[in-house]
Amino acid sequence: MPIEVVLLFAWMLVIAFLAFIACTFEDLESDIGSQSNPNSQVQLAAQVGQINRFFNKAISGEPLSNAMYCVTAGTIAWLLLRQFEPLVPGEEWKAAVLAIPIGVLAATMINMIFSTTSHCGRTAAQKRFEQPIYLDVLYGHLIPIGAHAFMTTFCITCIAYIQSNIGTLSGNPALDHPFALPLLGFIWGITVGAIGSSTGDVHYGAEREFQDRPFGEGKRVVYHGKITRYAECGVRTQKDIAGFCLKFGAPCTGMTFGLIILFENWRSMVGMQLGGFLPALPAFTATGDMAAIFGIVLGLLIVAALMVGNIVFVKWVRKKYGPFVGV
Amino acid sequence: MTVTPAVIEEEEPTKKGLSFKFPPEETEMGLIAGIIGAVIVIFTGLPAVIKGVGLLLVLLWGMDSVRKTSKYGLGTGVPSIGVLATGYGVVGALMGLAVAEYGRVGQLYPAVLVGVIVMGAIGLVSGIFANGEKFIAMKIPRLERAMMELGMAGTLAILLECSILTGSLSFAAVVDNVMTTGLIALLFIFNCFAMLHPYNACLGPDERRERTRMCAVEISGLICVLLGLAMIGLGTSPYGILDGVSLVVFGAIVWVVFFRMFIKACMDECYATVGTGLIKTIE
Repeated sequence: MPIEVVLLFAWMLVIAFLAFIACTFEDLESDIGSQSNPNSQVQLAAQVGQINRFFNKAISGEPLSNAMYCVTAGTIAWLLLRQFEPLVPGEEWKAAVLAIPIGVLAATMINMIFSTTSHCGRTAAQKRFEQPIYLDVLYGHLIPIGAHAFMTTFCITCIAYIQSNIGTLSGNPALDHPFALPLLGFIWGITVGAIGSSTGDVHYGAEREFQDRPFGEGKRVVYHGKITRYAECGVRTQKDIAGFCLKFGAPCTGMTFGLIILFENWRSMVGMQLGGFLPALPAFTATGDMAAIFGIVLGLLIVAALMVGNIVFVKWVRKKYGPFVGV
Repeated sequence: MTVTPAVIEEEEPTKKGLSFKFPPEETEMGLIAGIIGAVIVIFTGLPAVIKGVGLLLVLLWGMDSVRKTSKYGLGTGVPSIGVLATGYGVVGALMGLAVAEYGRVGQLYPAVLVGVIVMGAIGLVSGIFANGEKFIAMKIPRLERAMMELGMAGTLAILLECSILTGSLSFAAVVDNVMTTGLIALLFIFNCFAMLHPYNACLGPDERRERTRMCAVEISGLICVLLGLAMIGLGTSPYGILDGVSLVVFGAIVWVVFFRMFIKACMDECYATVGTGLIKTIE
C-alpha cells in the first residue's frame, strides 16, 4: 500500500481520537453549566420554590453555542495562520502550533463572557421566586466551564485544521478539504454539540433523577427541580455532576461521536481505495462513481450491523431487567 | 416609559446610570435602526466604525424583533427565532448582492435594498401564514410585524457585515472575501447570537427590556472586535489598517461599557446578590 494512503488512514484515526476527546469534554462542559443536561430543571426549580446553587448557562442549545466557539477559534486561528505561515516556509506546522491555541483561547474567553451574561440574566429574571445570585457559584463554575470548553474547542479546531490540510499532510495536496477552516469549525461545532446534547445525559434521565423507578418512569411535576437541591452529601453543585457524569455519560458521548467519525471516514476512504481513487485523485469521470458506490454500500452494511447489534442488546436487557413499566 | 406594556407593572426605578433608554420605544427603534442601517448599507465607502454603529443599531432592532416574536411565552424556541432571522438575512443578503450592480453609482449600492424589502415581504407572508385562521392559526399577537422586522434586520445586519469585511458590496468581492474564506460562518453564528442571546439569557418573568438591550449591545461590541480583526487580516479596507484597528477599539469600548452595565443591572435587580450561602430549606 502506498505511503500516502497509509498516512491518510492514520490521520483519519487521529481525527477520530480527537473527536472522542472533544465530545467527552463537551458533555462535561454542558453538565457543569447545565446547558442542556438539566437546564429545564434549573429553570423550573426556582419557580416551584426549590432555590438552588446551580449555574444557569443558557447559551441557546449546545449545537449553536459549540458552533460559535469553534467558529471563533477557527477564524482567529485562520487569520493568524495567514500571517504566520509565510514566515516559516516549508514548516507550516510551527504556525499552527502557535495559531490554534491562541484562537481557542479567544473562543474560551467568549464562552465565559456568554456564560456570565446568561447566568446573571436568567437569575435576575427570576427575582419573584427569590433566587439569589451566589457569587461563589458564578466564579467557581466559570473556570471549569472555560477549561472544559477549551479542550472541546481545541480538539475540534485541530480536527478542522487537519481536515483542511489532510492532503498536504499525507503527501497529496489535491486531497485537501475544499472548505476553509472557519467553515469546517462551524460544521464540526454543530455536530459535536448535537451529539453531546442528545447522548450520554445520565444525570438528568433514567439513571439519576428517576433512579428509584424502573426504567425511568416519569415523576409528578411537584418533584421537578429536586434534582438541583441536595447531593449525596451537602448542597449539590454542578462540580459534583461533572464527577458523576465522567464515570459513564461523558465517555459514552465521546465514544458515540468518535465512532461516528471513524465509521464515516473509514467507509469513504475504503470506498475511495476500492474505487481506485487513492493515492492519486483522478479527474472526476463516470468510472469515479464506483468510489461513491463502494462507500455507500459499506455505510449501509455498518448501519445494518449497528441496528442488529442494538436490537440484540435491547432484547437481552429487557429479558434481564424486566419489561418497561412506564407505558 | 421605556418598557413594553406587559412588564409595566413590574417596572421599578433603577439606580442611576443603569438605564439604557435609547431609543425609547419599539416602533421608534425599528424606524431609526432601519433607516440608519439602510443608509449606511448603501454608502459602502464609509469608515468601518460608522458601519459598526449601524450594525449595532440593526442588531438591537433584530433583538427587539426576536423579543417581540418570543414574548408570548416561547421558552426553548427563542434561539430558533434568532437563527430564523439570520437565515432570512443570508438569503436576503445574497439576493441583494445579486442585484447590487444595477443602479450602482461609484461606491453607492442602492439596489441591495431590494434584498431587504423582499425579505421583509417574505417575513410578513410567513407571519400571515403562521397566524392566519385558514392556515396554521397560531394566533400569536403581533407575529406578522415581528417576522417582517426579523427578515429586514437580519438582511441589513448581514449586508453591513459583508460591507465591513470587503469594503464594497460587489458580488465577486463578497464571494472572494466572505464566502470562500469561510468568514460567512462567523457572520452567521454571531448574527444569530446577537439576536437570540440577549432575550434567551434574560428569559424569565422578571425580564426587563432595557436590561436585555444592554446585553444585545454588549454582543454587538464583541462582533465589532472580531470583524475588526478579520478586516485587519484580510486587508481589504480602502483606509488601510487603521480602519480595522479603530473598529476593534470601538468594539472593545462598547463591550466593556455595556458588559459592566449589564452585569451591574443584573446584580442590582435580582432578588439578592450574595457572596455565598446555603439554599433555603423547604418544610
